Amino acid sequence: MELLPQALIDGILLGGIYITIAIGFSLVYGVMHIIDFAVGEWIMLGAFLGLYLNKWTGLDPFLLLPLVFVVFGLIGYLLQPVIHRVISGRQGNPLLMGLVFTFGLALMFRGIALTGFGFYSHSIPSTFSDKSFFYEQGTFFMTVSGIRLAGLIYALVITVALHWLLKKTNFGLGVRALAQNRDAAALMGVNGKRTSSYVYGIYVGISAMTGVLIGSILSVSAQMGPDYTIVAFFVVVLAGMGHLAGVPWAAFLLGLVQSFFLIYLDPGLTMLAVFAILFTILLVSPRGLFAKGV
Amino acid sequence: MRSKIITWSILVVLVLGIVPLFVSDAFVLRILTEAIMWIGLAITFDVLAGYTGYLNFGHGAFFGIGAYTTAIMMVRANWPFTLALLAGARVTTICALAAGFPTLRLRGAYFAIATWALSLAIQQLALILTITGGPDGMRLPPFLNPLYFFYLMLGVVASTFFLLWFLLERAPFGLKLKAIREDELGAQSLGLNPTRLKIQAFVLSAVPTGILGGIYAYWITFIDPASTLSDLVSDQALVMVVFGGMGTLIGPVIGAVLIFSFKTIFWAYLSDFQLLYLIILGAVIALSVVFLPNGLWGTIRDRNSGRGGLKKKLTGPPPGIEAEKKDETNKSILTAELKSCTQKDGVK
Repeated sequence: MELLPQALIDGILLGGIYITIAIGFSLVYGVMHIIDFAVGEWIMLGAFLGLYLNKWTGLDPFLLLPLVFVVFGLIGYLLQPVIHRVISGRQGNPLLMGLVFTFGLALMFRGIALTGFGFYSHSIPSTFSDKSFFYEQGTFFMTVSGIRLAGLIYALVITVALHWLLKKTNFGLGVRALAQNRDAAALMGVNGKRTSSYVYGIYVGISAMTGVLIGSILSVSAQMGPDYTIVAFFVVVLAGMGHLAGVPWAAFLLGLVQSFFLIYLDPGLTMLAVFAILFTILLVSPRGLFAKGV
Repeated sequence: MRSKIITWSILVVLVLGIVPLFVSDAFVLRILTEAIMWIGLAITFDVLAGYTGYLNFGHGAFFGIGAYTTAIMMVRANWPFTLALLAGARVTTICALAAGFPTLRLRGAYFAIATWALSLAIQQLALILTITGGPDGMRLPPFLNPLYFFYLMLGVVASTFFLLWFLLERAPFGLKLKAIREDELGAQSLGLNPTRLKIQAFVLSAVPTGILGGIYAYWITFIDPASTLSDLVSDQALVMVVFGGMGTLIGPVIGAVLIFSFKTIFWAYLSDFQLLYLIILGAVIALSVVFLPNGLWGTIRDRNSGRGGLKKKLTGPPPGIEAEKKDETNKSILTAELKSCTQKDGVK
């Protein structure tokens, strides 16, 4: 039982990162009704940009985050019109077409990354990397790694910023209106295309930034994409599709499950456990833990 | 048009049937056998993706379940191949029912996610279990008779094709699935049970896939998670279906033949650039979604019947209006046909 606090704290720190993976993804689903299969690949590409920027400039990855956000935000902003064309074409099933399109993108990105960067895994060094806090009292002890704590703080900052953007600004009002009813929002003067572009840009930017953090907390490799795509899927299904408020809780739950499996059980079973939970949720409460999904 | 296609299909199957009489080269037979297998994987993938509008990323998992069950039954229990293959089909059915029940009640997004998660979980399971040989895979007793496998594969795929043809293009079942794809709520209000139909379609798509997996395992005599359970199986089936044309039976066949030929040539001449294949695969999917949303066959068919023809575009009303009209008429025809067939069936 001595390991219990350690497992808890690791799970929460890991869950923090998962929030930022899933929150943009959930937002995009809510607003544009796209399941973006390329979410893990955005994370991977962002991580590689962070890695190379760090090599060239020597700056701490945390200082590089704004730059990564701007670069990928722009890419997302420019890509969104193509996605819009795909999902609003004559073909009857927009969701399916969006899925297929982003799936193709994901394959392509993964291929390009494997060709360009090889199979090796790297890590992005940060000033927080070798700092950690150790706490001990009798048999009760735990270690909090500095970089993971910084990651959690980053995740909370992103979540709060996104919350502020959605709830307190005119832009956020437009986004929420779009999510509720596209046509009515357009009648009220919300520019659907442009707002969707911004939302997609924000989502790609956040995913890429999270990639940089994952690169300095865990590792960067060209095959990492699908691992994080499944994280995004799991968290979003658990939270209820498009239900943003549920995302943090679902993310913490996944973090805890993973850390418990790592410490107490076989880490090879994690994927199976994740699938079992997903399956149970779909069976019992298909609209997420809080029954508030779309 | 419809009867023409069936005549052509029978002709193609017959021609393929007599090919081994003239070609004795083992390599050519091997390529043909694999091409036929991919045709089978593509048409079964299309039952869900094209006709029902649900994307099944676990297609490769069902292929792998069939392969592994057959292999386990033959190696660990010493069952004969035919029995093991039947066991494989049975296990695939059970897995499809189990995976379909919770996910097919919901919208398409959940299904795509859950099947993808399923394929990852099955991969993991095959890696950690001892009965599957873990990452080392399994070796099956070799049975080196290329002709046997060629005819077996051809027989299974041809009968699957004609069964799907009958069910999807002739019987009301296909219309019902299409109705669900177009408007699930509307289909329900006409007295259909979407969940049941979707699960039926899922099983219909999974079982032949499992059988193909079983044949593949015995044919190749070696299976491991990296080759049999990798995402590449679903990915390639998806490319074939999307590129060939979703929602038709001929489209996936054309897509499978083209993509498989490309793959074979690619591996023969450019095997140093394996990763390029992934990029091309992804690019073909993304580009055909953008520029050929109806796929190759869909575009050809539309052009032949003059629906998307240039002439009509220039003289007729603006394309948007035309499309809406086309959609309306399509929907009304579908509704009318569906009504008549539900009444005939006496569906409650």
